[in-house]
Amino acid sequence: MKTSSSLPRNALLASVLSLVVPGAGQFYLRDRSRGTAIFVTALACGVLIYWAQDNFRAAMAGGTAIALWALLGCFVIWNVVDVYRRAHRQASSNLIGFLLPTLVIYIIGWQVTDIRPDRLITRFSYALKIWNDVIHPDLFMQDVAGTWMPSENFGYIFGTIGPEVMTQVGPFRLPVYHAGKIVETIALGLMSTLFSTIMAVPLSFLAAHNIMSRVRGGTLIYYAMRTFLNIVRAIDTLIWGLIVVLWVGLGSFAGVIALTIHSVAALGKLFSEEVEHIDPGPIEALTATGANLVQTIRYAVIPQIVPSFLAYTLLRWDINMRSATIVGFVAGGGIGFFVVESLRKGAYNQYAAALWAIAVVVMIVDYVSAKWRERIMLGATNVSGELPRPFYKSLRAWFYIIVGTAVFIYFWELCEINLKDLLNPAPTFGQLVRSFLSFNLDPEVTDAVVRQMLITIFQALLATTLGALAAIPFSFLAARNLTGRSRLSIWIYYLTRGLFNVLRSIEAILYVAIFFYWVSFGNFAGMLALAVTTFGLIGKLFSEAIENIDPGPLEAIMATGATRLQAIAYGILPQIIPPFISYGIYQWDINVRMATIVGFAGGGGIGWLLYNDYFPFMKYRSAGTAVAAIVIVVTIMDFASAKIRERMV
Amino acid sequence: MLRVEHLTKIYPNGTQALKDVSFQVEDGEFLAVIGLSGSGKSTLLRCINRLIDPTSGKIIWNDVDITALPASQMRSVRRQIGMIFQQFNLVKRSSVMTNTLSGRLGYVSPYQSLFNYFSAADQKRAIENLEQLGLADKAHVRADSLSGGQQQRVGIARALMQEPKLVLADEPVASLDPVLAHSILKHLEWMNKERKITVLCSLHFLDLVHRYATHAIALKDGQLVFQGLPKEIDDAQFKAIYGQEAERVSIV
Repeated sequence: MKTSSSLPRNALLASVLSLVVPGAGQFYLRDRSRGTAIFVTALACGVLIYWAQDNFRAAMAGGTAIALWALLGCFVIWNVVDVYRRAHRQASSNLIGFLLPTLVIYIIGWQVTDIRPDRLITRFSYALKIWNDVIHPDLFMQDVAGTWMPSENFGYIFGTIGPEVMTQVGPFRLPVYHAGKIVETIALGLMSTLFSTIMAVPLSFLAAHNIMSRVRGGTLIYYAMRTFLNIVRAIDTLIWGLIVVLWVGLGSFAGVIALTIHSVAALGKLFSEEVEHIDPGPIEALTATGANLVQTIRYAVIPQIVPSFLAYTLLRWDINMRSATIVGFVAGGGIGFFVVESLRKGAYNQYAAALWAIAVVVMIVDYVSAKWRERIMLGATNVSGELPRPFYKSLRAWFYIIVGTAVFIYFWELCEINLKDLLNPAPTFGQLVRSFLSFNLDPEVTDAVVRQMLITIFQALLATTLGALAAIPFSFLAARNLTGRSRLSIWIYYLTRGLFNVLRSIEAILYVAIFFYWVSFGNFAGMLALAVTTFGLIGKLFSEAIENIDPGPLEAIMATGATRLQAIAYGILPQIIPPFISYGIYQWDINVRMATIVGFAGGGGIGWLLYNDYFPFMKYRSAGTAVAAIVIVVTIMDFASAKIRERMV
Repeated sequence: MLRVEHLTKIYPNGTQALKDVSFQVEDGEFLAVIGLSGSGKSTLLRCINRLIDPTSGKIIWNDVDITALPASQMRSVRRQIGMIFQQFNLVKRSSVMTNTLSGRLGYVSPYQSLFNYFSAADQKRAIENLEQLGLADKAHVRADSLSGGQQQRVGIARALMQEPKLVLADEPVASLDPVLAHSILKHLEWMNKERKITVLCSLHFLDLVHRYATHAIALKDGQLVFQGLPKEIDDAQFKAIYGQEAERVSIV
């Protein structure tokens, strides 16, 4: 504590400074971080209000703009009061200073995202109609005799056997199986995971600082590699899809490539971080014995990283499976293509059937991947004296190898992988690559890109808020340690968990069609679609956060004679608020990525610009600008969200 | 006076943690509860304030049968019984002051306390208790920034806020260094002698029992195998409690 003798910084001067430039007085009082934060907040709010006024005249009419400027004015007044009180060493509340800008941001977000809650009600009959389709998916039908059988649509999705010819496979005569769209999707997910893992492993060593700093010029390669991976990772699979289609043409192969490109970058980053976190002891020891770089990697690095690499690959398989369900929107192939076709026909019950199929498959993959990861992580710490039997002596290993190879060959064909296509791009592809990197910076393009990018960010923010607020009460119902032991509460637990799992297994872009129909296309539909997926994802995270609290404080507070309500307020809330905020920020980060593509299905935002204005008319220079904007925003969000979450812990 | 009669606890998974345990504690005693890990010490202490409901048997405290009380009346009993935990059980992200004040929750209105409101008298009491434990300057730091010994002293301050007549201490020093163990137990001794609070404390080390306890009981596999004065635990008793292979170890 400084004594008052060091105080005579002039309170009046500080207040005047803050009145002229918000934050300047705090800066003058030597509270630099507070001053900077206030200055940046005030500036950002001012710029946003000005931008919204300029771009959304209709939405900002009727006093909204005046109200916003008034709120900003209140913030400046708060900042003057704050500096005056601090100069007199009095306590000053942060709450108002936090609430005012938050309110400004949400009001702008509400206006520019074109939130129209009235439509949810006035067009409710549309919601009922589509709900009817969702619960009556086109999967089964009754024949004349009244027996239930799979419908034709069932065959499109899951595949059909027959109808007539048998094929000879080695010694077996097998009926012909025509793979359905969902099987094709599984193939897309698996093949892209396999390819991207194989490619990511060597790349990850080039992007690991502790390895590259041992090589001459390695640091330079490290930075180049990291930047490259970050840029590629920031661009969503579907945007890669738009580009890849011009390279190899529409079809499953394009889907595999798009998935693989994004996945290589994501895995490369995770892998390289894992390499950087290994124990340096063994490397030092081997270097001391005179081993060279390759030998060191083989004997000191690889044994340490195998379990975590496997775990990340399984995690990626789960994510790729989800992306594979939508890559068909742009690249063709997989169930996404089927969804687009049925929506074009207006066959909502076929679309609903696809949603259910996706939910089932994604939930299974999610479960299997999580269980496997759990086993790997347990095995990583499992100390067993026995050496495993060499694999070639184990019958089971051979069985897996044979089945794996057969599946690989079958999926290779199913994905229409044709490496020759890589060498034979469409004539426009060269033009695309050239134009893409010579960004179009005409004011009309940059204006449109900035406008749509901000809408995308606001869409993500509102969807995160809406989804998270809705998920909070449900997450308590889905937390094992809080639900009672009665039969009813166990039922509620499973129902809530099931709801989270179904909703989060379907990508936001697939929900757009529902809201497209309900509230008509645009930013509002995209925001609602994002909110539904967010509800499922964040509900699961929240309920796990509640399950992971330390029960000790709860016990201690119950022991003092506190009531249940008091025990929750003092024992549970302080423990769950930080993870809830942290997950909220994380989800916002994820939602910005997802929001960049909801436009592909009519959900507005920057995806709409790319998919409807730039790519169809071959405005590749403008598309390059839009993608660059996405890369910048996603990278900043990623970095900021990681930093903030680090500080929350 | 606390009387435990034929106390038995069987967990839903079939584990029998306590078998027909009966003993008596006079007001003002410092009773050490000894025994191996898993012998039922924690279960016994948690049955006394009903954090765990016993399967059968009675706990009678000042002529009130605690085991028969409905949940609504347990609140007023619990606030007279302080508890100190091996893992301190502080809310790590809350301040030392809030953790200390939370010992007062049994006395204050539930609705006021939701807004972190505590009366000036309670706040003064909290500061006094923290001063007593040498933590006055730490009142406004986060609990997890304290060392283990300091955290346990916050745990004691929280129990003192209840103005308890009885304190249950469940292995209060098992997670601490030997030097800190003495400091914590001295605080318990002070509570016992100066504030006339009855203390039930489970302990691992026998020399701590000799040094601080006035009486002792021992549990083995859920059964009471010893009851008496600490000095009566001779080598034969020791082997009976801890098993034939056990060796006496001492703590500085």
